[in-house]
Amino acid sequence: MMDYPLFVPRARCLSRARCRVGVVVACAVALVATSGGAIRVAAADWHATIAGAQQKSVKIHGAGGFRGLEAYQSGILISAEGHVLTLWSYVLDTEDVSVTLDDGRKFTAKLLGADPKLEIALLKIDAADLSHFELTEAAAASIGQRVLALSNVFGIATGEEAVSVQHGHVAAATSLAAHRGVFESTYRGPVYILDAMTNNPGSAGGALVALDGRLIGLLGKELRDSAHNVWLNYAMPVSAIEETVRQMLAGRFKPSTADEPATAVANSWSLEALGVVLVPDLVPRTPPFIDTLRRGSPAEQAGLLPDDLVLYINNRLVPSAQALRAELSQIDQGDELRLTVMRHSELIEVTLRVGAAPSQGGQP
Amino acid sequence: MRGVTTHKRRRALARLATLLTLLAGSSGWVLADDSLEELEQAALAAAVDRVAPSVVRIDTVGGRERVGETAVGPGPTTGLIVSEDGFIVSSAFGFAQQPASILVTLPDGARARARLIAADRSRQLVLLKVDGAKRLPVSAPAPLADVRVGAWAIAVGRTYEAARPNVSIGIVSALGRIWGKAVQTDAKISPVNYGGPLVDVAGRVIGILVPMSPSESGEAAGVDWYDSGIGFAVPLEHVLSVLPRLRAGETLEPGVLGVNLVEGSMFSQPAELAAVRPNSPAYKAGLQAGDRIVEIDGTSIERQTQFKRQLLPRYAGDKVRLTIARGEERFDREIELIAKLEPYAHPFLGVLPRRDPAAGDAVAAGVRVRYVFAESAAAKAGIKAGDVLVGLAGKDVTDLASVRLLLQQVEIGQQVEVAVRRGEETLELKVEPVAVSDAVPDDLPPAREPRPAFVGERPATGKFALELPEHANKASVFVPGNYDPAVAYGLLVWLPASAEDAAAEAQFERWQAQAEALDLIVLVPRPGQPAGWAQSDLEFIGHAMERLVADYRIDRARIAVGGAGTGGSVAFVVASAQRPLVRGVIALEAPPAGRMPENEPIHPLAIYSANSKGATNARAIEAGAERLRAARFPVTRRELAKPEGLSDDEHAHLERWLDSLDRF
Repeated sequence: MMDYPLFVPRARCLSRARCRVGVVVACAVALVATSGGAIRVAAADWHATIAGAQQKSVKIHGAGGFRGLEAYQSGILISAEGHVLTLWSYVLDTEDVSVTLDDGRKFTAKLLGADPKLEIALLKIDAADLSHFELTEAAAASIGQRVLALSNVFGIATGEEAVSVQHGHVAAATSLAAHRGVFESTYRGPVYILDAMTNNPGSAGGALVALDGRLIGLLGKELRDSAHNVWLNYAMPVSAIEETVRQMLAGRFKPSTADEPATAVANSWSLEALGVVLVPDLVPRTPPFIDTLRRGSPAEQAGLLPDDLVLYINNRLVPSAQALRAELSQIDQGDELRLTVMRHSELIEVTLRVGAAPSQGGQP
Repeated sequence: MRGVTTHKRRRALARLATLLTLLAGSSGWVLADDSLEELEQAALAAAVDRVAPSVVRIDTVGGRERVGETAVGPGPTTGLIVSEDGFIVSSAFGFAQQPASILVTLPDGARARARLIAADRSRQLVLLKVDGAKRLPVSAPAPLADVRVGAWAIAVGRTYEAARPNVSIGIVSALGRIWGKAVQTDAKISPVNYGGPLVDVAGRVIGILVPMSPSESGEAAGVDWYDSGIGFAVPLEHVLSVLPRLRAGETLEPGVLGVNLVEGSMFSQPAELAAVRPNSPAYKAGLQAGDRIVEIDGTSIERQTQFKRQLLPRYAGDKVRLTIARGEERFDREIELIAKLEPYAHPFLGVLPRRDPAAGDAVAAGVRVRYVFAESAAAKAGIKAGDVLVGLAGKDVTDLASVRLLLQQVEIGQQVEVAVRRGEETLELKVEPVAVSDAVPDDLPPAREPRPAFVGERPATGKFALELPEHANKASVFVPGNYDPAVAYGLLVWLPASAEDAAAEAQFERWQAQAEALDLIVLVPRPGQPAGWAQSDLEFIGHAMERLVADYRIDRARIAVGGAGTGGSVAFVVASAQRPLVRGVIALEAPPAGRMPENEPIHPLAIYSANSKGATNARAIEAGAERLRAARFPVTRRELAKPEGLSDDEHAHLERWLDSLDRF
């Protein structure tokens, strides 16, 4: 298998104000590589970038085709000998997965590995001398950066037709994990949010590239943002999946079970444990006002009062009584619990610790 | 976050980029793409950096889950600081759910409670205030005169991450959109950046991002265009001009004049008044139907669109100077616009007209009375079935259309003269109209004499499928087999509750059986998707109705939409969307849904609301009926014996209501 050198995201390294010494060395290595002309395609010629990136993109066909599920998606070549990186999905859940290159050649693909948690999969086709993306030369992107998304969105490209190219910008860099309950996705890692409509049927597994042609990330699946009730367009950065891909390439990857329960906390906090009774939860978004407090309870000792409105738990907004209950169930009683409440128009923060007297602070 | 030096460097680059672009433009230099690409990128980043400190994240706690038809996510929204002491402007969309508490994350990371101070209901903005704030960063507005179509436009929100703004980059697509209220952009605008600024490449604020729709109003109007490449921003320059009023706690409402324009294409028709609402500002200024508005504040008006462009951006309390042409006469009136008109009730004489096709000769001038409602104004004045109405309020009555036009000038409770021909004599009677009644006649005489079977070309009759290009929906139509192009037919749109609604099919057959007796054409549209009715189906229903109106002779006074259960609720939504067409809504076991329809003098609307005793949603149905009555719609309420469907008597009652929609 291939030997992977140290992975250096060049752009990110240069934009950081404070580089650690080790990283500086790595940067220097990268710069040398750059000046050698191996990495950087001239930013000017993004027509060349597109043509090059299209050659490295593939169309994948597999299972599906019923109940409105499409039987196709996208993928990218990551080695000259036919390693194809794509998203793990039901499309791959069949013996008969095919990969079509941009020259029209069609191959039956073998599944080398899949990580249902990262939602990525590695396929192999029997080919050689293929133009491909170098994961080691991947780029990090900054917010507002112009990017190109290449994928077989809606399955428009067939046979030797090249995948579709969309142009947009990185709208935000965030983490799906930071928005608990908002996204129905098993992938919980960092993502780039895009301001182009890149995530549609068939686009999962496509490439997000910089104008200079370097790979930035892998296009995600269709995902709804329930916090804003909109569809999300996102890509997983190469840095988030690169280590797993390397293990897959080395044949050392063992998938973790995908169906781990969502962090069930054995001894979690609850309203009962706090000694708090909220106002009756009658409407869908009842604001979490404290109705009564149990005498001698942790909440009372911490100085909470009836009519306090609970706003944040450990700095996480709880917009409703329901959200508050869900949030408490995620926090172990052994861990610190910080509550921010509104009393009249003042924000008050209290901290509850097990085994220590609860402390009361002022405004944050 | 970026260091200070980076920030300065970027700003310098931005200036350089601008300079280079100018040089390139003026002297025809061709710059290496390489540097231009990078400079452009740096300029865009610098613009975001420049505005970012004044862009705040706003969290809300509590509140409703839906605003009208739109589900509202509980996620954070964005605001723009407009004063150093803590005033923040945002989009009304983020507050339409009426949150219990509003929290703003200030630039230094501190969280503060904010109060809702005022709203601009014309431009869907809110003003918030954070108390105790000092020296907050405020961004400069881009002068509107400098904003060019095609220039970079960057939408900035602060919702995914509190520490960093999220951006979407596009261009200015158009100026003066939504009747001059908004700038349009192709940057992706959605709840993720509503309330945030749209900035130019220098980081100056062009406007505040809001959902907006050219055809609808309300906080959630235009949300279905999110991320479509069509987004709107209210110019900050305008916001700052009304900021003192908003700061003082004044909520700004769209200004209302109180007139209806004549129907037809607003792009070609003059701004001629079809009706003037009683007690409206226009009424008090002495405006009348038939008047033409030819100037507003010195701007000449030739078409209705010009009139709207001048009037619709204005607020209640604004004064407008109108120049009015009445015949040869021209005069000026200064009128103060108001926020809300008194609910309008249609004046009602209590007469049903006959519907005999006009004979070839012109002898039949006037409107023959088919039926006089018991205890009505007409009954009290002595008008009888068979009389021919020939005059109203001193004007000649030639046909039904002229009666309806004249009635718009009449006021409830004021005596009007009516001339009727009875046999050889003409009687002058005095009638005192009342508000339109919800009564249903117990027994109705035929609407017209039977006619010999029509011979000749006619459009399709019987039951057939209707499909329209570009719509996935299917629809069934039933046209009576004896369709006669000389006779005006009622149109009933019956909406099934879902794609597979057996009860609605049975009801369709019941209507078919009565279609000939009622001179009725029945349209049954079906949802485009198995999941049920969606916003996108509304367009299909409208087009299908328009198609039938074009292909058949349809009596505009007898177009009704109805259904049972969900179908009945959707009927209200269709009636609101197709306000100029629809005259009646039938809702069986269904509370009203969607926006309350407008009650307009030129577009009367009657409602038939029936539910079985003990229906689980009986309270919602009754409350809905009360709201509609408060808006002065005639609401006929019936209690049904069984929830499964109408008995024969109940159906006959509904048929008589439908048969008397053309009352006046």
